[in-house]
Amino acid sequence: MKHIALATTLLAALSAPAFAESDALLIGMATAQTGGLAPYDSPVVAGIRVAVDELNAAGGIGGNIMIELIEKDVRSDAAQTVIAVQELVDAGVSAIVLPCDADPALGAAGIVDQAGIPAISTCASSPTLPLIGGDYVFANFPGDNVQATVSAVWAFEQGLGNAYIIYSPDSQYTTMPLYFADVMKALGGTVLGEDTYTIGQPEFSAIATRIAALSPAPDVIMTSAYEPDFPSLLKALRAAGVTAQVIGSDGIDSPTTFSLGDVAEGVVFTTAGHPTPGSALETFNALFLAETGSASDTVFNAVGYDLIKVLEAAVLAAGTTEPKALRDAIAGLEGVQGATSLITYKGTDGMPVREVSLIRVTGGERELVGQPAPQMDLIPAPRMQ
Amino acid sequence: MELILQQTVNAISLGGTYALLALGLAVVFSIMGMINFAHGELMTISGYVLMYCGILGVPFTIAVPLAVLAAMAAAVLMERIAFRPVRNASGATMLVTSFAVAMILQVLFQNLISPRSQPVLLPEYLSQSISVGGIFIGVNKLVAIVATLVMLFVLDRFMTRQKIGIAMRAAAEDFAVARLMGIRANTVIAGAFAISGMLAGVAAVLWVSQRASVDPLMGFVPVVKAFIAAILGGLGSLRGAVAGGFLLGFIEIYLAAFLPSGMQAFREPIGLSLVILVLLVRPNGLIPAATIRAQKV
Repeated sequence: MKHIALATTLLAALSAPAFAESDALLIGMATAQTGGLAPYDSPVVAGIRVAVDELNAAGGIGGNIMIELIEKDVRSDAAQTVIAVQELVDAGVSAIVLPCDADPALGAAGIVDQAGIPAISTCASSPTLPLIGGDYVFANFPGDNVQATVSAVWAFEQGLGNAYIIYSPDSQYTTMPLYFADVMKALGGTVLGEDTYTIGQPEFSAIATRIAALSPAPDVIMTSAYEPDFPSLLKALRAAGVTAQVIGSDGIDSPTTFSLGDVAEGVVFTTAGHPTPGSALETFNALFLAETGSASDTVFNAVGYDLIKVLEAAVLAAGTTEPKALRDAIAGLEGVQGATSLITYKGTDGMPVREVSLIRVTGGERELVGQPAPQMDLIPAPRMQ
Repeated sequence: MELILQQTVNAISLGGTYALLALGLAVVFSIMGMINFAHGELMTISGYVLMYCGILGVPFTIAVPLAVLAAMAAAVLMERIAFRPVRNASGATMLVTSFAVAMILQVLFQNLISPRSQPVLLPEYLSQSISVGGIFIGVNKLVAIVATLVMLFVLDRFMTRQKIGIAMRAAAEDFAVARLMGIRANTVIAGAFAISGMLAGVAAVLWVSQRASVDPLMGFVPVVKAFIAAILGGLGSLRGAVAGGFLLGFIEIYLAAFLPSGMQAFREPIGLSLVILVLLVRPNGLIPAATIRAQKV
């Protein structure tokens, strides 16, 4: 068995560069199929497959470059991500897809940088990822600081100027409320206080009780907690009698949020897109249903489709699948039509400019509040931790 | 004053859930000398039963007993398939086996159901709260407290009045002698697993009613909390597990409620330090098992 495995690996390693040089784009997928990141990576990968199938069925990129995926499960582990990325580099891939979380993605940054192969994280939204990761690491999601700017401006314009934030220092993503607080203060609002929690914390009633006792009461509470913390926090707040507007982020763009009933009514959150009639996202959702047989229940599917669209545009712009040329092409992309929005890398440090949608939960359904363009001068600088 | 009362209600509710979890671990440990780290996955199974019942439109009042029964059946099956073959092996072997069972189940959930969180439809009244003398008590908290009391009462009755319960206590004290008295090992151990499954099932309903979703890795946090509570209370002691569960609940809630905001980030390490402090004073836990050195079968 070992010999067969070894032979297969050798064969793959030997044959891969040959493919890459001819008319195939070899993409190495170092994503989490199991473990804590699987809930985020697997829907993105499903979207990637839909995009690849669509392109290959049409004869490949530009009608002649077929896409091939080499998939490795990184098991949500940083060390395993590094191993998988090294194997993919050795296999001669032209581009690499990294996990959704900034931390394992950063673990692999050194390898892709040295090998000169562009790498895109599936859905990490921390603006520090491409900053720390270097020239070869790109993100594929609206940045945390951009999302927080959009939601803070919206709250302030609604007259909700007394804010309270609840964040977790456990991950980059869950510190998004700190950006919200920065923007709120810059706008002239007040931040009444903040609370921290641990990801996976079983109980939020102590925090909720304390917020309920605050005077003056906050009129908006912002958090980037996601499942299972967000439902738990929201229920605790409402059960304690807190009626403030709650604002969340893309992590709660999931079926659970819409099935919470009355507690979730009126919750507003930022996310990567909304299927307005005639939009690219509506078209994608129809394609996803036709290809997979099940309806897309999260915007992360569309985000996967976006990633392949970015690589397609880069190959067309570069006219080659040579990794270094691809990297330069990605960095110069402007206005690529993805499923969720137009995507621009030109002029950024690798964190794309993308549209942010504000969604309100109304009667268990999503209602579009708006897709405002953030004021660039309000966006806080990435926070290094 | 009101704030303290309110936080105390929160602490009793969380402590009760921890007590049920710790009891589930303790029942098995007292008889087999094994910490079953797959206990959390029994909760996940209950969670998925609740989820499927919601999808199929089964009323919540029927879904809850189904979820508890599923955890009991899974616990008994787990013992029969995974733990019986290693029953006479060393403690380390049993521990590793339980980790393996947990991981296998997690991967099965991820591949057969979904790696993503699945929503669990809960009745609206569980999200509401009632006001008693100015104190807000969430209905799910009230349910947690009542469920804990009922479970503790039923378990106490079972252990002191029922033949199999008495046999289990005898086996916990000295399995070899209990077997000489004609107590069947298989029955006692299967009974212990069934009870631990029932406790996991009830705890799962309380846990899920809090978070409204179930995911493949849901069982990890509760089993760690249960482990800490069981150690704190005295490993293998049932009363100790209850005491440990409540103490851990009180520590967590009071720290979250009353630590100054600058210290909140250190809440977990401070909480665990308090646990260590208790163990320094009482190395065998709050209420140690009667026969810590008794030979386990």
